[in-house]
Amino acid sequence: MNAIEIRGLKKYYGKVKAVDGLDLTVPTGVVFGLLGPNGSGKTTLIKVLCHLLKPDSGVAEVLGIPVKGRSYLPRIGYMPQEIALYEDMTVHDNLKLFAGIYGLDRVTFKRREKEVLTTIDLLERKDFPLSDLSGGQKHRISLAVSMIHEPEILFLDEPTVGVDPLLRAVFWKNFHDLKKKGVTIIMSTHYMDEARNCDIIGMMRAGKLIDEGSPDEILKRTGKDNLEDAFLDIVKRGASS
Amino acid sequence: MNMRRTLMISKKLFWSLKHDRRSVALIIIAPIMSMLIFGLAFSGDVENVNVIIVNYDQGGNVPGMNTTISLSERVIDNIDEDTLVLSYGDDIDEAVKKVEDGSANSVIIFPENFTRNLLSFAQGSPVDEAETIEIRSDQSQVTLSQEVMATVLEALIETTESSGFSNPLKIDTSDPIYGEGAEFLDMFVPGIMGFIVFLLTTILTLISFVGEKTGGTLHRLLASSVTEGEIVVGYAISFSIIGMAQVGILMGIAILVFDIMVVGNPLLAFLIASILAVVSVSLGILLSSLAKRESQAIQFYPLIVLPGFLLSGVFWPIEAMPLWLRPVSYFIPVTYAVNGLRAVLLRGWGVLDIWFELMMLIIFAIVFLLLAILSLRRTSKA
Repeated sequence: MNAIEIRGLKKYYGKVKAVDGLDLTVPTGVVFGLLGPNGSGKTTLIKVLCHLLKPDSGVAEVLGIPVKGRSYLPRIGYMPQEIALYEDMTVHDNLKLFAGIYGLDRVTFKRREKEVLTTIDLLERKDFPLSDLSGGQKHRISLAVSMIHEPEILFLDEPTVGVDPLLRAVFWKNFHDLKKKGVTIIMSTHYMDEARNCDIIGMMRAGKLIDEGSPDEILKRTGKDNLEDAFLDIVKRGASS
Repeated sequence: MNMRRTLMISKKLFWSLKHDRRSVALIIIAPIMSMLIFGLAFSGDVENVNVIIVNYDQGGNVPGMNTTISLSERVIDNIDEDTLVLSYGDDIDEAVKKVEDGSANSVIIFPENFTRNLLSFAQGSPVDEAETIEIRSDQSQVTLSQEVMATVLEALIETTESSGFSNPLKIDTSDPIYGEGAEFLDMFVPGIMGFIVFLLTTILTLISFVGEKTGGTLHRLLASSVTEGEIVVGYAISFSIIGMAQVGILMGIAILVFDIMVVGNPLLAFLIASILAVVSVSLGILLSSLAKRESQAIQFYPLIVLPGFLLSGVFWPIEAMPLWLRPVSYFIPVTYAVNGLRAVLLRGWGVLDIWFELMMLIIFAIVFLLLAILSLRRTSKA
């Protein structure tokens, strides 16, 4: 079973075609990067897959379940672009809220809280209100919240935007550790350089998937030595064909 | 101070308004509504207060003329019928029951020898005491019962003046049906309790919910398998508890500091407050669907405060509003909460006596909850 199956997916905002007839398959257990400039439809696609937006047409399935239902939601984790946590609550309370929503019992929550906070190296900040943490620390807590219930798929919307290079490296280590545990990671980014860390990338532009494959395959196909040039080359070829 | 820089800051506001039609609409609509509601609510006199007249007066013969007159009838004729809506009864107990069930405010009782005694006095016969008209009122409705008393007094003065009497007349209000010794503050406190629960809950929910949307937590919650219904009901439960706590605090201060009258069961007051809080939470969520930012949400305040305060009988009785405006009051949930709280705290009414108010609040709660869930479903997936 694939993690994601999408056929002919469309989502328009009035005249703006955010996702425009997209086909995509993502196997399980990979780090999949949606790569594209701002406004290319990455966030809209992730929101459709997380049941936050209703598609206009087409079929989208997560873990073999159509996204129009909710039954798959407890099996996925979602980290939005913004921090999206309760600033006046402590780190512990934020984690407890979402653990409670996912139905984790007390023992499991205690174990998972320790695990995720150790992973992001913020165990000692457990009882701090979120408002007392730095921006980077809040980003890490946001990641911790999205994986508190050990999801099978983790959707990360621009997880490294506004994150310093050191923390970015920590994030990528976390992503690969999760992958080793069998978690599928679907992330969006407009940083072409860091997309090289993905197993597969899907390049998006104007709501369409313009290319797909491993970074090495894409570089080989385009004959370029970096993904930014490869992206521009694919766009140029698409425009001339 | 650099004027150019200062003006740039001023211009910035208008530039942002150019693309914010909602704020512009609210800037225009809020003062229009505020002024209209305020002006209309306070422009009327108290009107259409239901009173029952029980007239035992047998009338009397005018000396030297072979005619029977009834001075009580003259008094009744002189009562301003815009202010009081008169109905007549033969039995005091039945009339009192109508006040007890809330369908009338007062019973005006003329004694059997009213005319006879007045005529005797006019002829120079001594009387033991002033002739008395008894008014038995629901004094928990302070403004209304005072208006009944004033109107009857006016009619008495007019009658005695036109008849040429200068007789000792008295109005006895010492045996009220409800609210003995109630003052304006006693009437005001239950109203303000309802209003504060409504105001704070609506505004807190509105601000919290706009914050949930702008901060992204709403989407994170929805993506974590929480449904819109669970969010709305979850909010409603927590604010019901807060609403009850607020009523507890308000009642505590009102009793301990201001010594207000509480003759009923405070637990019923908590029940009313908690249902009103559910209505208010739902209204807050509904309004949040119209605001994209906190700055837009703030502009709803006058639209919440003014109808809630001025058209629900908190401060000014509904009977004092223009007739055409009164139906609006019955679409404001605070009206039923205020009526219920007053009935419980000042009259000592029980659940069965305030069933209508409770039913209306529950209907409002259910309808508003459903609308809030629907609006959240619509806006969260837009």
